[in-house]
Amino acid sequence: MEDDVLKEDVTLPSENKEPEEDIFTPESLLKLIKSSYDRLRQNTKLFRLVQAIGIAASSLGLLLLTGYFILFIAPAVKELPGVRKSEITNNDELKKDPAYKKQISQLTKDIQRLSRKYNSFTSGQSYIVINTTENRFFLYRNKKLVREGFCSSGSYTMLQTEGDRKWIFKTPKGKYWIQGKITHPVWRRPDWAFVEEGLPIPPKEHPSRYEYGVLGDYAMSIGDGYLIHGTIYKRFLGMPVTHGCVRLADEDLEAIYNTLSIGSKVYIF
Amino acid sequence: MNMEPETEKKISGRIIAMISVALFLILFIIYYSAMMMMSPVKKYAEIRNEFGIDSTEKSREDNPVFSDSTYLRLLKEKAFLQSRMIMAETDSIYLTLNLGDSTAHLEISGVSVHKVKFSEMEASKIFIKGDENLILSLMSKPFTIANDWATIKKEPVMIKMAPKDTSEYKPDIMPDTSVTEPVNYILEMTDGTRIYICQQENEKSDDRKSRSQFDFQYRLREAKSSMRSIFRFKVPEYHLFIKIYLPRSDAKIIYRAIPKYGQVGLYRE
Repeated sequence: MEDDVLKEDVTLPSENKEPEEDIFTPESLLKLIKSSYDRLRQNTKLFRLVQAIGIAASSLGLLLLTGYFILFIAPAVKELPGVRKSEITNNDELKKDPAYKKQISQLTKDIQRLSRKYNSFTSGQSYIVINTTENRFFLYRNKKLVREGFCSSGSYTMLQTEGDRKWIFKTPKGKYWIQGKITHPVWRRPDWAFVEEGLPIPPKEHPSRYEYGVLGDYAMSIGDGYLIHGTIYKRFLGMPVTHGCVRLADEDLEAIYNTLSIGSKVYIF
Repeated sequence: MNMEPETEKKISGRIIAMISVALFLILFIIYYSAMMMMSPVKKYAEIRNEFGIDSTEKSREDNPVFSDSTYLRLLKEKAFLQSRMIMAETDSIYLTLNLGDSTAHLEISGVSVHKVKFSEMEASKIFIKGDENLILSLMSKPFTIANDWATIKKEPVMIKMAPKDTSEYKPDIMPDTSVTEPVNYILEMTDGTRIYICQQENEKSDDRKSRSQFDFQYRLREAKSSMRSIFRFKVPEYHLFIKIYLPRSDAKIIYRAIPKYGQVGLYRE
């Protein structure tokens, strides 16, 4: 038994097996590929399937590569052509030239004049800036920020009735000014306030239209029916919940009311 | 066992077809690349013609003041101020981008109402390295927005149907302000210049996914438009661009504040 095993061990490498280093020679590899290919070709069905898969995979690969090129490489290639940078000099000789000095002086004067004019747009008087995206306000006096805090602005709700009446509750953006100042304002409820609650719309001067104490102690009109006023819904401050007016907390409202006068600018963005 | 000659013919036909397609694609890629590389060159020439830069260059050779650094800096400053003056004349909200000190300002009638510093910026080579006189000409007037693409709504309007009676009425619930949507947008100007504003925050997978999707959609649109030109044997249109990264909240404030056809002023040192 032992002899048999020994025999086998001795004979195998020399007769049946090829030396291991020969397997990876290019010739043997080619031979292997060719024999595998021949075997595959003999099986027509399998060959066709492999061929179809190969064609599909290569087509998909080509398409993906082309797509990648068009979407990602080509836009980068666009930025490749060089742009000739214009020459900028700093010639000391030129700086001594009277004509140059005159031109520079004229330009400096123009810039100063324009800057003065531009800076004059910012009022030295008090004004308020309202940020409707973050629902914050910034009060300025003598071009300095003196108070900031939360407010509430338009909710961007569009109220629609079955009869196709529509209202959109948004705070207008741009430059406005204080057109009127009122203490202890009374809210005269517009039609939408009734429609919103499913109530019938009363006649114009009906007592149910008047609501007391809901607008706080003060209100400032900025035109088109929009007001800056107080609120009883203090937990909503800092959120977009109003019908277009700007709501403030009591203390902020009082400070703003006392700081702004009729004609003061209101910048809403 | 061997394959039939007809099948062999079919196979070689397929291989030839595949090689032809590959060759066609390679040729197309070369043609596409060439056309894409020509697009900024064409744009550069167009802008130079539009602003008559060539005639200025002649005088520049004669007069060294036109390439003097101080003179050019002052001219650019004046041009930017003039551009802001034009925008300040309107009561509208406008955006100014100062690429020198990396700040973006929202302004209303000459008053800066919101300021934000951007950490990162990318721009067309023409903007960065282009002819100083060309940059000067581009900056001397405000850009006007013609179109925009964004991941957020300009006006987040919610439609609410009015209740038929008081039984249907439901008081408003507190809006959920904890939801933060990714903010990425492109403002396209009337002259084709594009300003990309992307949110800085990119740590969350939702933010990364949203930006990738937005970028992919943009690339698809661009590729479609380029293809249309290329198939008509025309050089695709090149869009000058500036890409800035802002904190999400500031990016949102700017997008919501600036009017649909608002104006943008640009300054580059």
